[in-house]
Amino acid sequence: MATVDEIAPGEHKVVPIGRWGVGVYNVDGRFYAIANYCPHEGGPLCSGRTHGLTVVDPERPGGAAESRAGEFIYCPWHQWGFELATGTTAVKPEWSIRTYPVRVQGSDVIVTA
Amino acid sequence: MTIEMQRPKTLSTETTEVRVVDSDIHPTPKRGELTPFLPAKFRSLFENRATGAGSPVYYDAPDFAHSFAMRTDSFPADGNFAGSDPDLMFRQVVMEAGCDVLILGPLNGGGQTEEEHHAVTQATNAWQDACWLDSEHNWHQRYRGSIVAAMEHPEAAAREIEHWAGHPCMSQVLIGAELRPAWGDPQYDPVWEAATRNGLPVACHLGRGQHNELPMSPVGFMTYNHDLMVSYSMLAANQVMSLVFDGVFDRFPDLQIVFIEHAFNWLLPLMWRMDAVHAKRGPENGLKRKPSEYVKDHIWCTTQPLDMPEDKLEFTRALEWMEADKLLLFSSDYPHWTFDDPQWVRKHLPLHMQDKIMYQNALEVFKNVPSTVPALPGQKRPL
Amino acid sequence: MGSESQPVVDASVHVFFANDADLRGYLHEPFKSRGYPDVDVAWFAPPDGVRYAPGTEAEAETTGRAFGGAVSTVKGHPGSDPELVGRQLFEERGVDVAVLHPMSNAGILPDWHLGSAIFAGYNRMLVERWLDSGTYADRFRGTIRVNPNDIDGAVREINRWKDHPRVVQIGLPMQTQHPYGRPYFRPLWRAAVEAGLPVAVHIEMGVGITHPPTPSGITRTFSHLTAYQPMTFVWHLLNMIAEGVFEEFPELRIVWADGAADMLTPFIWRMDSFGRPHLEQTPWAPKIPSAYLAEHVYFVHGALDGPGADAEFADEWLRMTGKEDHLLFGSSYPDWQMHSPDDLPRAWTPEQREKVLWRNAARLYGLETPVPASA
Ligand code: FES
Repeated sequence: MATVDEIAPGEHKVVPIGRWGVGVYNVDGRFYAIANYCPHEGGPLCSGRTHGLTVVDPERPGGAAESRAGEFIYCPWHQWGFELATGTTAVKPEWSIRTYPVRVQGSDVIVTA
Repeated sequence: MTIEMQRPKTLSTETTEVRVVDSDIHPTPKRGELTPFLPAKFRSLFENRATGAGSPVYYDAPDFAHSFAMRTDSFPADGNFAGSDPDLMFRQVVMEAGCDVLILGPLNGGGQTEEEHHAVTQATNAWQDACWLDSEHNWHQRYRGSIVAAMEHPEAAAREIEHWAGHPCMSQVLIGAELRPAWGDPQYDPVWEAATRNGLPVACHLGRGQHNELPMSPVGFMTYNHDLMVSYSMLAANQVMSLVFDGVFDRFPDLQIVFIEHAFNWLLPLMWRMDAVHAKRGPENGLKRKPSEYVKDHIWCTTQPLDMPEDKLEFTRALEWMEADKLLLFSSDYPHWTFDDPQWVRKHLPLHMQDKIMYQNALEVFKNVPSTVPALPGQKRPL
Repeated sequence: MGSESQPVVDASVHVFFANDADLRGYLHEPFKSRGYPDVDVAWFAPPDGVRYAPGTEAEAETTGRAFGGAVSTVKGHPGSDPELVGRQLFEERGVDVAVLHPMSNAGILPDWHLGSAIFAGYNRMLVERWLDSGTYADRFRGTIRVNPNDIDGAVREINRWKDHPRVVQIGLPMQTQHPYGRPYFRPLWRAAVEAGLPVAVHIEMGVGITHPPTPSGITRTFSHLTAYQPMTFVWHLLNMIAEGVFEEFPELRIVWADGAADMLTPFIWRMDSFGRPHLEQTPWAPKIPSAYLAEHVYFVHGALDGPGADAEFADEWLRMTGKEDHLLFGSSYPDWQMHSPDDLPRAWTPEQREKVLWRNAARLYGLETPVPASA
C-alpha cells in the first residue's frame, strides 16, 4: 500500500481503500491504519491532527502535560480524539473508529483491509 | 474539473425542490476586503487599530492554535480565513453536504461606540451585496444574506433595515446577542418595528462581547470555553423571558425572532417555568396569553448545536413535548468547528418533524427563500 | 394538607430573626452598630406587596422603627417563631422533619468582616432557638450559614458547629463574585467534606455587591426575575464540573436550594455533547460531565419546578438525567411561593413520590427513616 520511507515518523498517507480511504500513520516507527471516516458526524478524520492526550501533572506549570504524543488522531470537525492503535477513546469507549491491521514487510507497509 | 462543476456556463433550467435550508453559516471577508465598504471616516481608524494587533482570543476552542475554532478542512488554499471563499463554501456546504439554500450570517465584530458599531454593519451589508450575493458569486442562487443591524444604535439600525429591505436576497435582520439591557427594553422598538414592517425575521447570533457583555454570568466569569459555551444558552433563555415578560410580542404581533447557535433543549423547561410563574402572578405583567404560546408563535431556534443524551429516545421525547416542529430551523454553523451535517441532523429528528425542521419552517420564516431552485447536477441530497 | 400517608421531609424552611433589633441582639460591637440591609427590601419586591404566605407572621408584637419610617408596632417576621412554625409545619402541614435554612443578607455584603459577624449571629440563633430548645426541636434540622468572602472564617464557623447533632448542612449564597468551581473555594469544600455535611446554595436576600441577576443586566419585571434567578445554579455547577471539584472531593454533596432542577437535563446534555472534545483542556475532570451528578448534586423541588401538576409525562421527565434521585421536596415556608406535596405532579410513580418526599432527603442528611405522622 505504501513504502516505509513514504511515511516518515509523525506523518501519514491516505490510501484508497474502501469508500472513504484509509489513513496509514507512522508513530515513531510503529504503523497504524484507520478509516478516513469519523463515527460522529462523518468528518474526514485523517485531515485532522495527531497529538497526545492531556493528563494532570502537578509538577508542570498549569498542572497539565501531554502524554503519549502523536498517538491519537483528532477529527478536523469536532476534535474528538481516537487512539490510533485501538480506535477507541478513554471517555466513551463505545464510540470507536475502524482500525486495520498493518505490517511492515521489507520496505513495504501492508494494510489488511 | 472541480471548477467546472462549480461554475457551469449556464445555470440549469431544471429546478429542484428545496429540501434543506441552512440558517446559520458564516461568510468572512478576505484580508482587506471589508475596508472599502466602510464609511470613509472609519477606514484608517480601523486599520490603525488593527496594525500590530494580535489574536484577541481568551476562551479557546479545542486545539485552537491549529484549528482557530474552525473545521480545519474549510480553510481555502489562498491563505485567507475559513469562510472567505464563496466557491469553497458552495462546494462543501451545497454540493457535498447538500444544503440547498444558505442564510449567510456574517460576524464581522463591532466597534467601540454606537457609531462605529453601525459603520461596521453598513460595511458588512454592502460587502455581502457586492461579494456574495452578486450574480457572479451567487450564480447558483443558493445564497441569501442578512441585514446586519447595530442594536447599540437602534434608530440607525432601523434606517439600515429600511435601506436593504426589499433586496431580493436579504432574508433576515441579524443582531448580536450580548448587548445590555435585554431585548424587552423599549429602546429597541425601532428595530422590531422596521423588521416587522418589512416582513423580516430578526436573528440573534452570539458573538462574545467585552467585559460584562462577554456575556458575564451573575456569578462571574467561567473558566473554560467548555463552561462558557454551554452556559451561553442562559443568555438566550434570559432574552426569551425578556421578550415575553416585557411584552415585545404584544407590541409587535408579527415579530419573529430566531436564536442562532444558542442550543434549544432548554426551551422546554423554560416554557414550563414561565407558564408556572405566569399562573401565579400573571396579571402584573399585562400579558395577554400564556408565555409558552408566545414562544411557539414568535420564537425559533436553530438546530446547531444539537445536543443529545446517551439515550436518544429521551431526546425524541423532549422534542415532542416541546413541539419542536414549531420551534426549530436547521443550521450547520459552517465553517465553525461545531458544524453539524444536515444528514446527521435529519436522522436524529422524529420522522414527522424532519421536513418542517429541515426546510418547511424556514420557507415560512424567510419570506424570500423560494421553494424551488435551479438544479445542480452532482449535488448531494441528504435524506 | 397533612393527607400524606408517608413521611414528609421539608428540605426548605426559611427561618428569620423577628426583626432587626432581634438580629442586633445577636451581634457584638462594633458590628452591632453597623449599617446593613434588611432581608426584605423594596428593590424587586413582589409588586402586590405580598412577600410571605398569609398567616405565617409571628404573633408576638414588637415596637420598633423601620428604616426611615415612623415608630410602629409590627408582628414578628414570618419564620421567626419556632413554636408557630413547628405548629404549622408539623401539626397542620403534615411535615415530619424540617430542614431549616436561615435567610440572610450577609453573604453579599461588601465588608466581609461584617458579613461573617452577622452569619455567626444567625448560627447561634438557629442553634439556640430552633435546634436546642422549644417543643419541636427534635423535628428541626439546621443549616449553618457561612461566608464565601471569608474562607478562613467560614472554615472556622463550619468547625464550630459541625458536631451538633441537629446541624445537617452548610449554607452558601447563590450570588458570588466568582463561580464555585474556582480554586479559592476549595478549603470550603474540604471543610464540608471533613464535617460530613452537604452544602446548600440559596439565593441571598436583601441587596449587596452582586453582579446583575442575568447576563443582560437587570430584569424589568418581578416575574422574570423570580423565574430566572433560581437557574443561576447552572453556572456554578458547570464550572464546578469543569474545574474538577467533584473529582477532588468525591464526598462533596451540593444542594441547589432554589430549585430549577429541570434545567439540569438540557444543560447536562449540552455539557456532555460539548464536553467530549473539551475534556482535553480539563484533565482534572476526566469523566463525561454527567458522571459527576450522582451523589453529588441535589435540588430542592420548588413551586415553579416541573412540567406542571397535570403533565402526563412528568414521571418520564423526572427519570431523565436521574432527577428522581436528586430532588428533595421543599415548601419554601413561609415564602409567598410556599407549596405542599399536594402540588406535586400526579403522574409521578409512587416510588418517585417517595424519593422526592423523603427518601432522597433521608439518604442525603442521614436521617433515620421518619415515622409517618399520621400512622
Ligand atoms: S465528525 Fe468527527 S468529531 Fe464530529
